Amino acid sequence: MFEQMQNWYDKRHAYAKEWKKNHPGGKVLGCFCTYVPEELVYAAGVLPVRLLGSHEPQSVTEPHIFGMYCPFCRDVLAQGLQKRYDYLDGITISQSCLHIRQAYTSWQMHVPTGFSYYLPMPNCVQSPHALSYLKGEFLAFKNALEKWTGNEITDEKLRQATELVNTNRRLMRQVYDLRKQDNPPMTGLEAMYMVVSSQMTDKNDHSKLLEKILKELPGRKMDRQTGARLMIIGSEDDDTAFIKMVESVGATLVVDDHCTGTRQFWNETELKGDVLTSIAKRYIDRPACPSKDWPERRRLPHILKLAKDFNAKGAIIIQQKFCDPHELDIPAIIKDLKKNGIPSLFLEFDVTVPIGPFRTRVEAFLEMIGQDDLF
Amino acid sequence: MAKEYWRWPEYRMTVGEKDWKSGKIITAGIDVGSVSSKTAIMVDGELYAFSLMRTGSNSPDSAQKTLNWALETTGIAQKDLHYIVGTGYGRINIPFANKAITEIACHARGANYVWGNTVRTVLDMGGQDCKAIKCDEKGKVTAFLMNDKCAAGTGRGMEVFSDLLAVPIEEVGELSFKVETEPQPVSSTCVVFAKSEALGLLRQGWPKEKVLAAYCSAMAHRVVTLLEKVGVEKDFVVTGGISKNVGVLKRVEKELKTTALPRNAKYDPQLAGAMGAALFAKALVEKERK
Amino acid sequence: MAGAKYPTEQLKCWNKAKEIRENYYKNYAQAHDKGGLRWAGGAWSLGAIPAGLGDDVYPITGEPYGASIAFNKEFSIRCMEAAESKGYARDLCSYMRSYWGSIILNEYAFGGPFPKPDFMWQDHICCSHAKWYQVASELEGGVPVFCIDAAAGPYDEVTENRINYLVNQMHDGIAWLEKTTGRKYSDEKLIEAVHNECDATSTWAEICALNKAVPAPLEEKSMYALYVLGTLMKHSKIVADFYRELLDEVKDRVKRGIAAVPNERCRVMSDTQPPWGFLKIFRYMERFGCVSIGSLYTFGLIGVWEVKPDGTWGPRTTPRQKGLKIENRDQALRILADWNLSKPEWQHFYSPKLKSEMMIRIAKEWKLDGILLHYNRGCEGLSLGIAENRLALQKAGYPVMTFEGNMGDEREFDEARTTARIDSFMETLGLKKLE
Repeated sequence: MFEQMQNWYDKRHAYAKEWKKNHPGGKVLGCFCTYVPEELVYAAGVLPVRLLGSHEPQSVTEPHIFGMYCPFCRDVLAQGLQKRYDYLDGITISQSCLHIRQAYTSWQMHVPTGFSYYLPMPNCVQSPHALSYLKGEFLAFKNALEKWTGNEITDEKLRQATELVNTNRRLMRQVYDLRKQDNPPMTGLEAMYMVVSSQMTDKNDHSKLLEKILKELPGRKMDRQTGARLMIIGSEDDDTAFIKMVESVGATLVVDDHCTGTRQFWNETELKGDVLTSIAKRYIDRPACPSKDWPERRRLPHILKLAKDFNAKGAIIIQQKFCDPHELDIPAIIKDLKKNGIPSLFLEFDVTVPIGPFRTRVEAFLEMIGQDDLF
Repeated sequence: MAKEYWRWPEYRMTVGEKDWKSGKIITAGIDVGSVSSKTAIMVDGELYAFSLMRTGSNSPDSAQKTLNWALETTGIAQKDLHYIVGTGYGRINIPFANKAITEIACHARGANYVWGNTVRTVLDMGGQDCKAIKCDEKGKVTAFLMNDKCAAGTGRGMEVFSDLLAVPIEEVGELSFKVETEPQPVSSTCVVFAKSEALGLLRQGWPKEKVLAAYCSAMAHRVVTLLEKVGVEKDFVVTGGISKNVGVLKRVEKELKTTALPRNAKYDPQLAGAMGAALFAKALVEKERK
Repeated sequence: MAGAKYPTEQLKCWNKAKEIRENYYKNYAQAHDKGGLRWAGGAWSLGAIPAGLGDDVYPITGEPYGASIAFNKEFSIRCMEAAESKGYARDLCSYMRSYWGSIILNEYAFGGPFPKPDFMWQDHICCSHAKWYQVASELEGGVPVFCIDAAAGPYDEVTENRINYLVNQMHDGIAWLEKTTGRKYSDEKLIEAVHNECDATSTWAEICALNKAVPAPLEEKSMYALYVLGTLMKHSKIVADFYRELLDEVKDRVKRGIAAVPNERCRVMSDTQPPWGFLKIFRYMERFGCVSIGSLYTFGLIGVWEVKPDGTWGPRTTPRQKGLKIENRDQALRILADWNLSKPEWQHFYSPKLKSEMMIRIAKEWKLDGILLHYNRGCEGLSLGIAENRLALQKAGYPVMTFEGNMGDEREFDEARTTARIDSFMETLGLKKLE
């Protein structure tokens, strides 16, 4: 049922090239972070694709990024340096963590494209002034997109694009809602393929498939046991090999807090009054990346609510090695979950993870939260 | 052939005194670690026989060998076993085991059996990793941390040092205390680097015992960091091969400012995982028979 | 020294700098004794703003405090292990871990228990800034925190919208300070502090610009002890006055040809914070006649610069020098926002290109023979883009030596290996030890 989505993810480059063939004159914009306002990009008639790594060892980034930065940013840059995204017409980043920013700036210098844009997304999204500031920056970004593409971005186009992106978000939430069931009709791996593929395909194609899936999904019978219901929390994660392993040893991932998951699509843009302000508000209010979760810790109640709504019995907390923003949140998250009766397992990710040793930890964690009948 | 200083003694024993035939549940726990393989045979949840040997090149063979050796002379045949639980690094590769349970759960359970229900913290120092485990009065894991990133602080690392310094592995611990003042720990945490650092120290004229002291204390410091993260609660016990090395053990206790419960003379602490596995096997039989 | 090329002298201001620093940490600790207030924040905090609460408001800035801890190796390791035992990762900012450790252990690096601040006043440009005090507040049992997001650069792209974002937050901050402390806010004191900050940071740049002279009147190891005052309280009259005094002294040294390193024959700069526990590597280089004239770090972390009409880098013209009278709070805040956004060490956060350009400028104007880049595992903010800086500097024709280390965690610095690297770098530069 989700094979097409896996296929899109596995063959992302073929998809984008095909898209360009079918959209003469259409441009593809590589996005380094999920804070890039997709509404604006679609309104300009451009396809935004999220740049992700390929989980392969490589040696091309060593001269460009000092080894103390996260494996993800290096893996992403490696894709650029190895010319795997040679079809991109432009790149953009919305200000978030320092690590991924280096992938962007090095890409900008060494893999030239016709367009590059640094969008200074506020870090203090909790400030009452972040909204008007971001609206102003969205206006500047809109102007830059217009200049680059030659396409005027009217309010009407922004509304249509918002509807397009919102529909996709809404449909993915409907799919997620089904995971609340005692026996979810899908795996966490499938959910991951769904969300990451939405980040690299045309929302028209993706939503069409989602509608079809949503018709069949409620009656789907799984030929596997649900086992322990787990939540997964942490930094960028499209490590499908890891997810697959977890779900092969007696667990199902029922919800996540990842930017390759809920953080990216959870809330919709509510069009009220000024269109750019409405869109800006959506990005201010979305579930925060830890680099933006201050001075209050708003992620904690949000994560806890997800855990309760989806009836998670335990949490796997993962972190890209050296990811400072997550390292600054994880101790507080572990403590908060524990206080609320949800045990967690912490794991540090690299470009590839050692499946064997991680399997031992995951199994031990599952034994810890279950198997009461053996004592 | 050069002397193999790292080689520790392999052995087996029958310790059960009753006739096993009178037992209701006969189980085996097989712990295939990266360095050593152990089997514990239990009759109604009491240790009956065991074996401890070096792990060979593949897990299924090692598991079979250690099981066979444990059963040798007991009169128990493999088919007499009601249930076999495999554990350890090779646990998923024991074709004849009924179930696999992680060494983390098994060490906690085994420690509870060996030292009693007051055990709350278990440090397992194995061949290629070490684990800090917290458990409740039933021996059920409540939290754990594992370090398997490198071989420093593990049995394999100690073997490398024993060979490098030509000191039989069982004498390493005692010898490491034959220094007037405790040297600074070696700074490298990676075995490869620690080895070259040690060679440098030897060249500078350090005696063997001083180098060993520096290595043992570096090892101790590493595991203490792990223990402190998980939080040490009494009673504290140490299992696994390295628990027999006083050079590390005493230094861990010193740095932690906590003493571990003394070794229970009846049981080899390296067998804790296998015993835990055999106890789980018993519980699984009981569950099936219900 | 026999056969020295240049005369040298001790800095006359040296002891005064030491005294200012000692008083700073003492005043913070003792603030409550005289009914004063204590606040904690970063070295880049907009300290001029809380200055409007009164003259008895004493800050402690986290980075220099973390560096102070690094000088005491025994305490440093205990602090870091204390932070690690609370679950904080070992690769986080080493200043931050040391600072948290000092709170956790409840030990002040200058004696006694750690003095708990009344509020925390931080700004944010590096991912760790706001989070540093979020965690510190939790460790202290909930000290109120206000943090201004200053990541609205780079300066050459600053717009009204971006300045407004900072200024609006600053206005909120003042209302918050009044509410949190119950004190009445003085715009007059704010205006004075803004002037002081502009004066101090511009004067520091002027001092550094004097190091273009051959022989250099200052060398970097001593500069650390001088520039640090700006990281403690750049908004204070004490620091502004001290830098003016120092400026006069350095001018005099240049006039008289006084060298910091009597055998200067090779000029280099470093980059990022040094491994504080191992400043002796600078002395080691001097044995080759090699002087580190500073770095973008010592020049531009606090110093504020501008391009002069002749195209060279010099101190930014202050509002006072322009004859500008600051009339009100909003104007003061706008000036403060604009001034800080132009800080050199705030530019590379947006692109390593901006930093490479500044470094190449320094290399040219300060007449450098080579550059040492400290790949600093302790600071992801200042090490950002450093590998690209290396490539750009090499492309510009400068010999570059890199060495890995950590400003505040000595477990990540290998002294022997670094010294060996220096030896071979000096050889590349054609230098032998002067014995």
